[in-house]
Amino acid sequence: MSSLAVGCRLRVAVLVLALLGAGAVGGGSTAHAADDGELTLDSIVNNVIVGHAEDGNYLNFDPFATVELPRIMVARTADGALTVDLYGSTKGLLKDGTYGLVPHSEGEGGHEEVITESSALQEAFASKAHLHGDIVRTSGHVVADLSITRHLIFGLLAMGIVLAIFLVLAQRYKRGVGRTEAPHGVLQNMMEVMVVFIRDEVAKPNIQGEKWRTFLPYLLSAFFFILMANILGLVPYAGAATSNIAVTGVLAVMTFVIGLLYGSKDHYKHMFLGPPDAPWPIRVILVPIELIGTVMRHLALAIRLFANMMGGSLIIFSLIGLVFIMNVLFGEAMAFGTSIISIGFTVFILLLKLLVAFIQAYVFTILSALFIGISVEEHEHEEHADDAHAEAPTSQTSGALSDRLDAVDDAVDDVTEPAPA
Amino acid sequence: MTEVIAQSLVQPDVGLIFWKTIAFLIFLFLLYRYGWGPITEAMESREEEIESSIQRAEEALAEAKEIQSENKKARREAEREAQRILREARESAEELREEEMAKTRDRIQQMQEQAQAEIEREKQAALQELRDEVADLAIEAASKVVRDDLDGERQRKLVNDFIDDLPKN
Repeated sequence: MSSLAVGCRLRVAVLVLALLGAGAVGGGSTAHAADDGELTLDSIVNNVIVGHAEDGNYLNFDPFATVELPRIMVARTADGALTVDLYGSTKGLLKDGTYGLVPHSEGEGGHEEVITESSALQEAFASKAHLHGDIVRTSGHVVADLSITRHLIFGLLAMGIVLAIFLVLAQRYKRGVGRTEAPHGVLQNMMEVMVVFIRDEVAKPNIQGEKWRTFLPYLLSAFFFILMANILGLVPYAGAATSNIAVTGVLAVMTFVIGLLYGSKDHYKHMFLGPPDAPWPIRVILVPIELIGTVMRHLALAIRLFANMMGGSLIIFSLIGLVFIMNVLFGEAMAFGTSIISIGFTVFILLLKLLVAFIQAYVFTILSALFIGISVEEHEHEEHADDAHAEAPTSQTSGALSDRLDAVDDAVDDVTEPAPA
Repeated sequence: MTEVIAQSLVQPDVGLIFWKTIAFLIFLFLLYRYGWGPITEAMESREEEIESSIQRAEEALAEAKEIQSENKKARREAEREAQRILREARESAEELREEEMAKTRDRIQQMQEQAQAEIEREKQAALQELRDEVADLAIEAASKVVRDDLDGERQRKLVNDFIDDLPKN
């Protein structure tokens, strides 16, 4: 094991080693431990910590079962035709022979052998290496891997729960419970509190005039989906779909697209032509800044949610992994001692994650509302007709908006600081 | 290897983006169509109803207060009226009583006077009668005594003189 590899691993597992508080000692003994075979720091970091946090084409119910998910490959064959290959599982995909496995090996980079023969595949199946390796097509190449992944399943599960809750509740409201009489039961009251909160505290104050009505369904859907996905992240064997950058990215893009589709003329004018009362050289500088800023704040929206959820699960898996790391480094007695502390911390982090689940759902929703509100805001048109002096209030309005944006960002930073720390 | 797996944590997966977009759009559509509409609508109509009922209640309360104050005023007036009537009745009763009393007193006085006059008159009559009786008795007695001696004329003059000599009363 070269020192370079140790350095890389240290960078990835920096959380683990920081928690160890003995980075130097850990680094020193790593080389010996790695040679022992079975339980190495590498395998702990990869399987226990990162393996649980990353996406994959299987549902891990260790030690009971591992359920492989269907693989769907859009591929271009050797003669250039586009095909869609459908398999029930990764095993089925590999047994078929059209695809080969490139396992991740311990070595440095290098060119890897593509495994296609059945004996080698059986070996890979036994060690579950096929679930972590790359899949390549033996002839032609894969255009897009549209396989079902565990994060998609968790996302669908969250959506299913939200749909079930609210479609049932909607029927109730249609029947008149909550319309003409008081809402009834814990579920209805609890959900209503949150719906009213999103409406009155998130949508109404951030979106100008009556326009909030148009965007409330999106905000509510996003809020409840994120909340449910975050909470699923606390359930054993499940995971948070929101701890995947693709999922949060899709959500952020939706906010972005809504902002673009419903953007007001004033917003576009301001974005592409700069502030109307500024001289043109300043506008030339401001327009790119404005454009980059618009893209960046949606990007930040995706990364904020993703990083918070991912950070939370990495901390938990690291705390659990710490027990095994202690076992490797200092023996069983130390591992037992560590497990007590680890479990205590894990419970604490889980409680913190529950809080973060709500906070992040709220933060995503309020920022979405704010961004949409900025896009759809219309300024008083009489001011544009008047001379430059009359336009002062317009710039004040956008100034107030950016102030509000800063305030929300500050609040978000304050609130979320503990989670990814 | 560690590097590769760690990258998978931050690398967006095309398949996931694809399915996620489709799934979320369907999710959004279903909730938009069947979920949020009825819920938010029902909540709004309920809120409006609550607001309007509170307003109605407040109006009713104000109205009730007004009616109450009106009632109070009317009652006070009625009481005042009753007292006035009572006072008047008492006054007129007093007047009536005094009038009656004065009338009675007058009548009593009148009756007294009448009685006195009657008594006086009776007394005079009785005196006169007595005088006549006494005179007749005397004449008769005297005539019996001196029937032969004296004529009637002389005797009467004698008796009258005698009576005049009698003390009055």
